Amino acid sequence: MIQLTDLHKTFLVKDRKGRGQRRVEAVRGVSLRVAPGEIYGLLGPNGAGKSTTLRMIAGLLHPDQGRVEVCGVDAARHPEQARAMVGYLATDLGVYLRFTPRELLRMFGAFQGLEARAADQRGMELLTQLGLADFAEVRMEGFSSGQRQKVSIARALLHDPRVVVFDEPTTGLDVLTAKTVLDLLRAMRAEGRSIVVSTHVMPMVESICDRVGILFDGVLHGDAAPGALCRSWGVASLDEVFFRLAEEARP
Amino acid sequence: MRGALLILKKEFLELSKDRRTLFFTFVMPLILYPLMFAILGRLGDRDAAARAALPSRVCLEDPGQVLAPLLRDDPARFQVVPRPAGDLRQGLRDRKLELALAVDPRGAEKLARHEPLALRVWYDGSDEASKLALERFRSRLGRQELAWVQAALASLGGVPQMAQPVQLETVDTGDMGLFVGKLIGSLLPYLLMIMMYAGAMQHGIYATAGEKERGTLLSLLATRLPRSQIIIGKLLYIFAIGILSALVNLLSMAVSVARLVGAEAPGAATAAAGTTASAAATAGGLAALATPQVLGLTFLLMVPLGLFFANFILLGGIQARNTLEASTALTPGIFVVLLLGVFSMAPGIEKLRCLPYVPVLNVSLAIRKLFSQQANPLEYLVALVMTVALAGCMTWISVRMLNRESALFRL
Repeated sequence: MIQLTDLHKTFLVKDRKGRGQRRVEAVRGVSLRVAPGEIYGLLGPNGAGKSTTLRMIAGLLHPDQGRVEVCGVDAARHPEQARAMVGYLATDLGVYLRFTPRELLRMFGAFQGLEARAADQRGMELLTQLGLADFAEVRMEGFSSGQRQKVSIARALLHDPRVVVFDEPTTGLDVLTAKTVLDLLRAMRAEGRSIVVSTHVMPMVESICDRVGILFDGVLHGDAAPGALCRSWGVASLDEVFFRLAEEARP
Repeated sequence: MRGALLILKKEFLELSKDRRTLFFTFVMPLILYPLMFAILGRLGDRDAAARAALPSRVCLEDPGQVLAPLLRDDPARFQVVPRPAGDLRQGLRDRKLELALAVDPRGAEKLARHEPLALRVWYDGSDEASKLALERFRSRLGRQELAWVQAALASLGGVPQMAQPVQLETVDTGDMGLFVGKLIGSLLPYLLMIMMYAGAMQHGIYATAGEKERGTLLSLLATRLPRSQIIIGKLLYIFAIGILSALVNLLSMAVSVARLVGAEAPGAATAAAGTTASAAATAGGLAALATPQVLGLTFLLMVPLGLFFANFILLGGIQARNTLEASTALTPGIFVVLLLGVFSMAPGIEKLRCLPYVPVLNVSLAIRKLFSQQANPLEYLVALVMTVALAGCMTWISVRMLNRESALFRL
């Protein structure tokens, strides 16, 4: 289970002239809860705070204010313990191209505290599930972005995490690879995992997400089932909700 | 520590996959230095042999014919050439001749009256052939002077041996091994610092800013490994690469330099067989000098110094947004290290009283003294303790600084 309570995160970034620094509030008071066996879709334009929110769930960033709980563990107080329960997939694929998928998974298995044999076995299961078993011993330098994405997903799920955090998992993928990823998400939901997915692809959200939240300038809007959200705004699709919210959020 | 060792293993595994980098980092120096020095040595030998085989071209102005017969009688070593047009100096610079001599026009009369003979010699001190010509002329003139004095003594009824009352015998007690040891000892700290820093820098950038750029750092940070372990693992990798790289380069260079210097050091025989014997003696002498104890003590100093450099590279690399930024931040470090190295090689620097207390430079001094058999235990200990303390402080600062989000997720 994931529980976010009144999350705030501010970054210092260079100002436009590149001389000084200015504060940017990336996340402002985000609260949400993702139950086991639920897929939560986090929507929003670029720079809305989606990746920052997901990184706080994954224990990569600490909130300035508020609380992140992963399966009852405070991610700020016990980051290593929390990270052990999270499978995180970043927008950057994060695969070491000189390795073969099997070598990469073995190595990350060791990082996650798995025995070599267990990591190998689990890694091969995931590669088979993702249709990459035949490429297990091939160096990833020649892999397509879809193949790299699949290896990256296998890497994120290797330690059998109870919580799955995927940042734009289908971006840049062809229809078939995207379908494989969506099927995997559905399978993980059926296994009772708590899943948060950020995306720009509305049809994907409508097809797999149980609930959605829309982030604008770090503030969460909505937080309801896709159908309920459309009904509350009196529109037919999530796209329209998104546009209406964008207009409302514009200063 | 298990996490740090896992990261170290991952870095080396990744390096092992890149054969080209492995070759250029560890194999190339083993081939390059011996090859470079062998070519230099061979060219030098060939040049010296060619010079020795040819007579020196001498322009002689000697109206009284005092010295002309001496030179003409020795065609294997002297060839009298006409005066080149224009200035004599320019003629020497243009390599039209190696030596120019001007004898007093009334030289013969003066000699007959037992008065000193005025003689002016022009040569080019920057040219080996010109220096050889001068050496040959001095030797020939010396013999002639002796003959003149002996003749004068004989005419006065004296004993010819009085012309050379002292029989001088010189014995060179210089230890070739010590000579090479001193030379390598003065070069070693400089080379060590440069190679350790430069060798580790590119690998350090790849393992830090490179990971950020390729997006792999996030996947590492998302594992259950504590951040401090990831940082220490990377630090160990940069440190190990620096030490290995310096060792490979130094080993290769030291052997090559010892061979070359052994052949050309003062007192070494120039004949082919003599050169081989001298090189062997030098290698033996150097081996006696570079004892396991000296090498061990040098390595002991290298460890904290390498750790200090590794921390510096880690700090610059991991705080950069990309490899270009890291390169820009760390490259000036090479010039600082170069400067320190040059400073440590300066003649007489070891006499500065404050030097044993100046960090980094005191390591240079201690290594230099170890190799020249002048080691001072107290100075060595001070250098070691100071460098360990410095490396320890830097490690503490690195781990603390790089543990922060602002360093790992710099926007």
